[in-house]
Amino acid sequence: MAIAEVPRFVRADGPDKVTGSGRYAADINLTGQLVAKFRYAGVSHARITKLDTSAASAMPGVFAVLTAADVPDVIYSPVVPDRRLFAKDVVRFEGELVAAVAAVDAATAQAAVDAIVVEYEDLPIVDDLEAAMADGSPLVHQDWESYAVTGDTVQRPNVASFSSIEKGDVDTAMASADHVVTSRYVADGCHALPIEPRAVVAQWEGEKVTIWTSTQVPFDARAGVCETLQMPASKVRVIVPHLGGGFGGKCGFHFEAHVAALAKAARRPVKLVFSRQEEMVAPDRRREGMIVDITSGVKADGTLVARTGWIAIDNGAYTADAAFFPQLAAMHVAGPYAMEAVKVEASLVYTNHQPSGSVRAPTAPQACWALESHTDELAAVVGMDPVEFRRANIVDEGVEGAAGQVYGEIGLRRCLDAAVGASAYGDDLPDDEAVGVAISWWPSFPGPSGAYIKIDSDGSGMIITGAQECGTGSVMTLRMLAAKELGMEPEDFQLVYQDTSAAPYDTGATGSQTLLNNGRAVVEGAREVAAQLRDLAADQLEAAPDDIVLASGKAHVSGSPDKAVSIVELAGIAAEGEMLIGKGSGTPPEYPSVSAMCVGDQGLAGWAGPQFACHAVHVRLDRETGVVRVLDVSAAHDSGTIINPVAAHGQVEGGIMMGVGQALTEGTQYGDDAKQRNTGLLEYKLQTAADAPTIRTEFIEIPDPNAGPYGAKGLAEAPNVPTAAAIANGVAKLVGTPVRQLPMTAERVWMTSEGMSS
Amino acid sequence: MSFTIATTVDEALVALGAGARPIAGGTDLVVGARHGKAALPGDLVAIDRIDELGGVELDSAGVRVGALMSHAELMTDPVIVGSYTAIADASALVGSPSTRHVGTLGGNVMNGSPAMDTGAPLTVLGATAELRSVTGSRTVSLDELWAGPGRTTADLGELLVALHLPPAQDRCGSAYVRLEYRRAMEIAVVGAAAAVTLAADGTIASAAVALAAVAPTILSVDGVDQALVGCTPADAGPVVAALASEQAAPISDLRASDRYRRHCIGVMAKRAVDAAARRADGESIAVPVNRSLGIGAA
Amino acid sequence: MTTSYELDVNGVTYPVTADQGKNLLSVIRENVGLTGTKEGCDDCECGACMVLLDGQPVNSCSYLAVQAQGRQVTTIEGVMEGPEMHALQRNLLEAGGVQCGFCTPGMIMSAKALLERDEHPELDAVRIGLSGNLCRCTGYAKILAAVEATAVELNT
Repeated sequence: MAIAEVPRFVRADGPDKVTGSGRYAADINLTGQLVAKFRYAGVSHARITKLDTSAASAMPGVFAVLTAADVPDVIYSPVVPDRRLFAKDVVRFEGELVAAVAAVDAATAQAAVDAIVVEYEDLPIVDDLEAAMADGSPLVHQDWESYAVTGDTVQRPNVASFSSIEKGDVDTAMASADHVVTSRYVADGCHALPIEPRAVVAQWEGEKVTIWTSTQVPFDARAGVCETLQMPASKVRVIVPHLGGGFGGKCGFHFEAHVAALAKAARRPVKLVFSRQEEMVAPDRRREGMIVDITSGVKADGTLVARTGWIAIDNGAYTADAAFFPQLAAMHVAGPYAMEAVKVEASLVYTNHQPSGSVRAPTAPQACWALESHTDELAAVVGMDPVEFRRANIVDEGVEGAAGQVYGEIGLRRCLDAAVGASAYGDDLPDDEAVGVAISWWPSFPGPSGAYIKIDSDGSGMIITGAQECGTGSVMTLRMLAAKELGMEPEDFQLVYQDTSAAPYDTGATGSQTLLNNGRAVVEGAREVAAQLRDLAADQLEAAPDDIVLASGKAHVSGSPDKAVSIVELAGIAAEGEMLIGKGSGTPPEYPSVSAMCVGDQGLAGWAGPQFACHAVHVRLDRETGVVRVLDVSAAHDSGTIINPVAAHGQVEGGIMMGVGQALTEGTQYGDDAKQRNTGLLEYKLQTAADAPTIRTEFIEIPDPNAGPYGAKGLAEAPNVPTAAAIANGVAKLVGTPVRQLPMTAERVWMTSEGMSS
Repeated sequence: MSFTIATTVDEALVALGAGARPIAGGTDLVVGARHGKAALPGDLVAIDRIDELGGVELDSAGVRVGALMSHAELMTDPVIVGSYTAIADASALVGSPSTRHVGTLGGNVMNGSPAMDTGAPLTVLGATAELRSVTGSRTVSLDELWAGPGRTTADLGELLVALHLPPAQDRCGSAYVRLEYRRAMEIAVVGAAAAVTLAADGTIASAAVALAAVAPTILSVDGVDQALVGCTPADAGPVVAALASEQAAPISDLRASDRYRRHCIGVMAKRAVDAAARRADGESIAVPVNRSLGIGAA
Repeated sequence: MTTSYELDVNGVTYPVTADQGKNLLSVIRENVGLTGTKEGCDDCECGACMVLLDGQPVNSCSYLAVQAQGRQVTTIEGVMEGPEMHALQRNLLEAGGVQCGFCTPGMIMSAKALLERDEHPELDAVRIGLSGNLCRCTGYAKILAAVEATAVELNT
């Protein structure tokens, strides 16, 4: 149902990227530029007893050394503001910034960093989620009660945000079940791991600062600079050159303010480029570790009647954007299933780990892995095939979901049928192979967004948008939407984007939202231009504007294709008078209301544009060693209308591969000191091309009236959700019991098969 | 500080005698320096353009493998693939195409990592190391050469110029297999090499097994020959697995626990013997065994 | 210690004065001034820095620049054939094998070396040939397809 016949969609930024001419943030170099280096805490929880930068400041070639004393004392972060640019008094994780240096070159900057004297008094390490929640646990934030949290956020000692979803009388419903199954699943944290480590360059001209940065969210980054350095938005310009991937890891505000402050103090441009090791340790964007306890009651006939869930999420030392994680995790443990009653409680627990933050579908892959593994256990208890069990219990049109939302036409059942049907599920397989199946869901995120559209005197189009391209191609897709409205070709449009001083606000490359929200803005802006073109053509063709059709680069009178004038000609006419300029923003779709009782509500129990998916994964197990290989994946996704099929397939394939890594090889390992032990890519193992499975994808296209243009929903995060769960169910079939830790490393699989626990 | 490009072994030896360190591909040196493991030596002599250090030559004593042979060359060299297949198996598993191109046998051996892939194959194939210095040359067994993790007994002035392998026997096969969590860019979690000679009746006439990443250096398993001679390859599996697991002295680290390593080294040893015996019996198993037999993540 | 030497990059000889321990990647990016070659890790593990040295793939982050004297270095900027894109570049774009693009230059260098040593690689040989280049965006599917398409295009 693609809106245009574009068998091959070539990215506007593609030629830059394949020829090496494209500039990324680390490729920007300014005259007189200095190099920034950070001094990290290096310990996980300690009180600073001495901080002396005098030796560093005195070194030749050092232009600036900054600590908390040198910047405004601002406590920031959305919803749960709990951190400062630099540690003040206490450090709470190893990657926390204590000081920053700008110097003539990297060696000098590093020498200065090393010359900073910091002495600590150890504080007790908090790194066990359950112990942290127990009475009397040492606190990560002594003064947590003083933080200015917003909205309905509920906090407790060492709990930054608590949410629960409760519908019906769960005790009574559970008592009516014939079988009650309780499971515990524990997921390690992991990383977004874009291949580009982040880079920031800042340059001041008078009172204004321009910051080139590898962020997914330029407007958020600007807001962070404004808040922490106490500057008006008009004085801060954030530009993103090409962005080398994000996956959530570059969402939020990170180091832009530190570099800007250094540049101001040094009176020179300053550039920061992270090493891979810094990229692993310092940002507040790690996928959260999680403990999930689920209890479900089922009737003997396989009807799911009740569920309770208890979830502890590793927040790390600061809350970043994670305040909504408990509610999203609770939604995922409730899952896309119908049942009488449900009660799920989730806590975002402070620890002395690196802070968690939104990584591609935050909380969902782990929670889905737990829920879908548990679901296969439920099917086994009642003696049903796991796919049949799902068919009997999933939400569908007109059915009320766990939080009480009643769904319109949705494609979950069709996704299940399509993915299972395309797989070897049910076939006679070798005894070391199996197909595991998992279903999933994920919301779309409506939000404000804006774009301008113009057509220049020669007929060339320009989209000036707040949207941010992180590789998904959704910004590229905007050209297709503008072209369709204006009867032009996508190639007729250039993009001006990733510059906060050029375009209206957009949330950025986050929450799978670009097409959903900026698409709406572009369509609206293009329609304004279309109306202008129709007026101009109507004059030229002596027809009513409503009778003018824009197609194939021309405006013609409806029913008379020969009575036409080219858009190029109209653009020339317009350039002499009222120019062809449109603006778009539009009203975001509404979040549906729900009937469940939501404590600590973050507004994410009712989902606009809910997306659904099913993955069926064919795995092979080396029984003697526990090594699992993914052979092929059949995926089916309901993300509404698919506008750009090439980009959409790319999202699904990339999401699946990330899911394979999370399932098998990607997990943060911590020492007793709460520091990460695998901060290099040899020990933190991404999947390679050699591991790439065959992937078959089918889109179940059901236009959603309460979503994006032409009924498109979000897509970028959803494919990352069910893969690990489907792999788990395949492995559980072969091992005979679920592997209850994620990643399901070879050693863990082997131990499970040997009946050992780790 | 100095950087010399040597084009003959003698030039290189003079530089080494003056205190320079040799660099071929340099990967371990450069990465090690960047990770702060060891500063890059101030004086370096590049040995990657010394023709004498390349090549695989048959001689009366067997085969001379130049220290500069890259993993990419070894994995396709007809002599190595044909008669010393375990070395080819190991070379084909090293890192990625680029590391196989840059990385050399000599670098692998002299780096002295207990996880080196080519070490166990060289050991079971009876390789000796030819070291040269300005004062002369000597040939040492690998057992004598490797002193511990990252350490050798070679003097600073000595250069590894070649590995020598005894002549290939009839009905002899070898193989190297390793445990890996993904199909490329791996380092051995544990690895095992076996060399097996079959008697006319298909039983094992002689056998050797060596292990990677389960001890401070490559571990040659004791008692394999006595235990396996006369066994069918099928019967040999459990025996060699038990010997390997018993003698292994693994550590726990990021890659695996000692318990898991001890278990898996037995599995790898068994598989190495199986593949080596099948090759000895004339079966063609493509290099590397890991991928052609679906071992580990293959 | 600073040392001076010449480096042949994409057929042009550049005088280089740099620290003896400086890696090839940094010399290409900072001294030669070509930024198409990327840095993604510290330790030879991601392949974003891949260049060709006398036609063979090398992780330039872990190779001393002084060692590249007298050899031909090819970077992504040297892949274009005059004004035309190399078939690999074109096929990657058309197949949708480029997303964020950060791994793309290194991926192209590895693919080019692969197709030069194996004109008709099986799919698994392509997988292994590209296994030193991590990509987080694509799941590799469209990259593998583009390389296979290029092999067919160049050798039929």
